[in-house]
Amino acid sequence: MSKDVEYVVRLIANTVFENEQYFSELDGVVGDGDFGYSIARGFEKVINEWDTIDHSLPGNTLKGVSMKIVGAVGGVSGTVWGTAFLRAGITLGTKTEITQQDVIAMFRSAIEGIKKRGNTDLGDKTLLDALVPAVDQLEKSFNDGKDASTALDEAAVVCRQAAEATRPMLAKRGRAAYTGERSIGTLDAGAVAMAVLFEAVSKAWKE
Amino acid sequence: MKKFVNDPKNFVPEMLKGIALANPKTLKYIPEYNLIMRADIPISNKVSIMQGSGSGHEPAHVMAVGRGMLDAACPGNVFAAPPADFVYQTTKLVASPKGVLHLLNNYTGDTMSFNMGREMAEAEGIEVRTVTINDDVAVKDSTWTIGRRGVAGNFFVMKATGAAAERGASLEELEALGNRVVAVTRTMGMALTGCTPPAKGTPIFTLAEDEMEMGIGIHGEPGRKRVKMAPANEIVDELLEAVASDIPYKAGDEVALMINGMGGTPISELYLLYGYAHEQVEKRGMKIKRNYIGEYCTSLEMAGFSLTLVKLDPELEDLLAAPAEIAIRVF
Repeated sequence: MSKDVEYVVRLIANTVFENEQYFSELDGVVGDGDFGYSIARGFEKVINEWDTIDHSLPGNTLKGVSMKIVGAVGGVSGTVWGTAFLRAGITLGTKTEITQQDVIAMFRSAIEGIKKRGNTDLGDKTLLDALVPAVDQLEKSFNDGKDASTALDEAAVVCRQAAEATRPMLAKRGRAAYTGERSIGTLDAGAVAMAVLFEAVSKAWKE
Repeated sequence: MKKFVNDPKNFVPEMLKGIALANPKTLKYIPEYNLIMRADIPISNKVSIMQGSGSGHEPAHVMAVGRGMLDAACPGNVFAAPPADFVYQTTKLVASPKGVLHLLNNYTGDTMSFNMGREMAEAEGIEVRTVTINDDVAVKDSTWTIGRRGVAGNFFVMKATGAAAERGASLEELEALGNRVVAVTRTMGMALTGCTPPAKGTPIFTLAEDEMEMGIGIHGEPGRKRVKMAPANEIVDELLEAVASDIPYKAGDEVALMINGMGGTPISELYLLYGYAHEQVEKRGMKIKRNYIGEYCTSLEMAGFSLTLVKLDPELEDLLAAPAEIAIRVF
């Protein structure tokens, strides 16, 4: 099971590396243009120092990933992604097998952590606006008895639509918030990143 | 980009190395956490004070470390908040039995890094209090935004709490003092040009030859409006009105006035601005007891300035006048 966690983390890392420039450009429209650069440096540390992480349990791997990210990335990106991996790892605890229910529980806990860390909620034009609908869909697809591949596919579609739907929103958090009305009409970089990642995981699962 | 850079990734560490080599007796540099700290801390009967923000605002905050001001600063990359782990490790290294005071400028990234770092430190039994600086009047404050930004007024919070800490103030007293200084400090800034973070290589924004941006934060992010250039006095009038109308001042109030350069405006222009600002402040019936003209909190090589007013009382005036010794100057 640790192999699955490793596979997903490396897939996320590679997707972040491939999209570094794209993510920064999205962020540069109203933010400060360093989102792609920052998060790529975080996953660079994760991958470069992979062997220094305790991989005795899947949960420990996730906690270790979190510590690497908060050790390398400052501010919003570092704390949000670090909190997400930390919460996911804590939720898994000492489990060695990860069920569909565990996956949903990990996502829910990560979402709660991000809300608390950022003092934010749905509608503030953040990654939550794409992540939450995607996880809702994933849970629904699992409950409907869909297989993992189909469920991920459906979640990825919803995630992309939700990311697109951040365009008319007014940014209320982060440096984009200072642009006020100017943030309307731009995509939220974090929300788009969620869509890109869900699509990457969904595609990889099929293969 | 035309800058003194070797590898952009090493911009911050190479700057910090310079500060450390220039101050071998008084400062210690720990490269792992971008940390500049006083060589003689922690001191058992003194609260330690630390601040961290993005780099690119020098002298804030790494060059404001020294006796009578900050005990440590742990900056992130240029214009990026420090990682939460830097905050945590720095807090541990500077922790004294009297506790640690975190100063932070009210930006989302800084707040989140400091909150996470603080939680990690508190889990190990270190007592931490936080003063959030939000002196910028350009941004509307409301419950649904992240509120006003912390800008050049952070100098007064560092200076006052730093002096009080040297005199033995407790952590609670310093937290209250910091909040009291924030409550009487107001700033607004403006830019004539953008600036270029070394790792980005291109300007964060560009202004036409006849344009200026009013109400910028310390990363040049917008605040109020982009308008046509105007004579210097008119710009001072607009900033002073925004700042002075935000706190109800009355004739006879004693104040400190700061004209802070954003990094690319010559000192001659700053004094030109100060001269008119001084007259206008006194015209409003306020008495200027202390003045500050120069670079205190910058945005790399941006041309522009900010104007700060602090309402003084005898205690605050005394703390601002107390001796301090930092890398860039001796007060």
